[in-house]
Amino acid sequence: MDYDRLLSLSANLGYGLLESGAEIYRVEESIQRLLQAYGITQVDPFVIPNCIIVSMVTPEGVTMTQVRRMPSHGTDIDLLERYNDLCRKLCREVPPLEVAEAGLRQIDENRRQYPAWELMVAYMVAGAAFTLFFKGSVRDALCGALCGLAVGLAVTAMTRLRANLFFKSMVGAFLSALLALGLTQVGLGQSSDKIIIGALMALVPGLIFTNAIRDVMAGDMMAGISKIADALLIGVSVALGTAVALGLTRLLWGGG
Amino acid sequence: MEFIQSYLLPFLYAFVASAGFAVMFNIHGAGILICSFGGGLGWLVYLLSAPILQSEISQSFVAAITISAYAEIMARIRKCPVTGYLLVASFPLVPGGGIYYTMEHAINGETEQFLASFLHTLGVAGALAVGVLLVSSLVRMWGTYHHRRQTSGRGLRRHG
Repeated sequence: MDYDRLLSLSANLGYGLLESGAEIYRVEESIQRLLQAYGITQVDPFVIPNCIIVSMVTPEGVTMTQVRRMPSHGTDIDLLERYNDLCRKLCREVPPLEVAEAGLRQIDENRRQYPAWELMVAYMVAGAAFTLFFKGSVRDALCGALCGLAVGLAVTAMTRLRANLFFKSMVGAFLSALLALGLTQVGLGQSSDKIIIGALMALVPGLIFTNAIRDVMAGDMMAGISKIADALLIGVSVALGTAVALGLTRLLWGGG
Repeated sequence: MEFIQSYLLPFLYAFVASAGFAVMFNIHGAGILICSFGGGLGWLVYLLSAPILQSEISQSFVAAITISAYAEIMARIRKCPVTGYLLVASFPLVPGGGIYYTMEHAINGETEQFLASFLHTLGVAGALAVGVLLVSSLVRMWGTYHHRRQTSGRGLRRHG
């Protein structure tokens, strides 16, 4: 067997999983199970949010290692499910390497994604529903939808420009808060705080925090701590963006 | 009527908002409905437990346990990773309001209220994490136990 290709296959699968937002332990376990299914007994994967290291010892006693650097990425549950299915299938059937590689390539090439306008509608719906959820009125919900759209557009544009996560959250928060305060000032919105909270839910790092604690408890210290730092920084940048908008409007038309 | 006002409408709002997030995280087909139902369910449990627990932190904890169990069950049924279901379902429970009011107190210079709401927000986030963790740890322990019983009845002894 070509162990170089096997190692690359497992690293690619791990890369795909991590890129689509899998938990750390899932990536490590998938790599381990895949290599074990192909007859490697000693496998040591090490994964943190931005790096994958796979080391294995072939039956001939040669040690092989591969390191993959992970750029910042989003969450794509559809992709994650498909990589996970593929991993289960490979572990069960252990097909020849060519077939396994083809399966991996096929997933990467046939990504299913929502068109941009549907995503924007999702941002609007989420913003409106969360504004109502936080006890806003129907008019607030309308503003919530517009602010959700602002967040969505800002995040998409900033992602295209490859802005980092913190700047992205800050600009998104700033724009939507500014819009919310403006709409309230004009008279369309009634309570600006509920609109801002509703629209900001798309940026709030509550979930990164939860996942980070899970990682720490699972023993993945490096991953957990770097995610906690991530969550805190995003939280601060969201708060900062909103604070700048609040301060600015108070300067402009007072009160607020 | 009061039931609709205080329970059904919030459930619906949480459901619809979660559906929006399900699309943002690229979930397709029936998965959207299943994930968003989890979001609504979590908030319903949060509201229903209010008269008994009377503490936002305990309510979040109970709701986190519920959605986590729901996500684990759905993941088993549909043979998918738990992450997606959990991710979307926990959004209504995330203390977004807490973060906002903390920030507002901070820029108004109200130090005491800032600290109070900051600690409260942290408490809610912690309760969420612990609730989710409790369920996922139990599920993993159960899985390991089951796996070991199936594969090797005696192999366990080696490790003492």
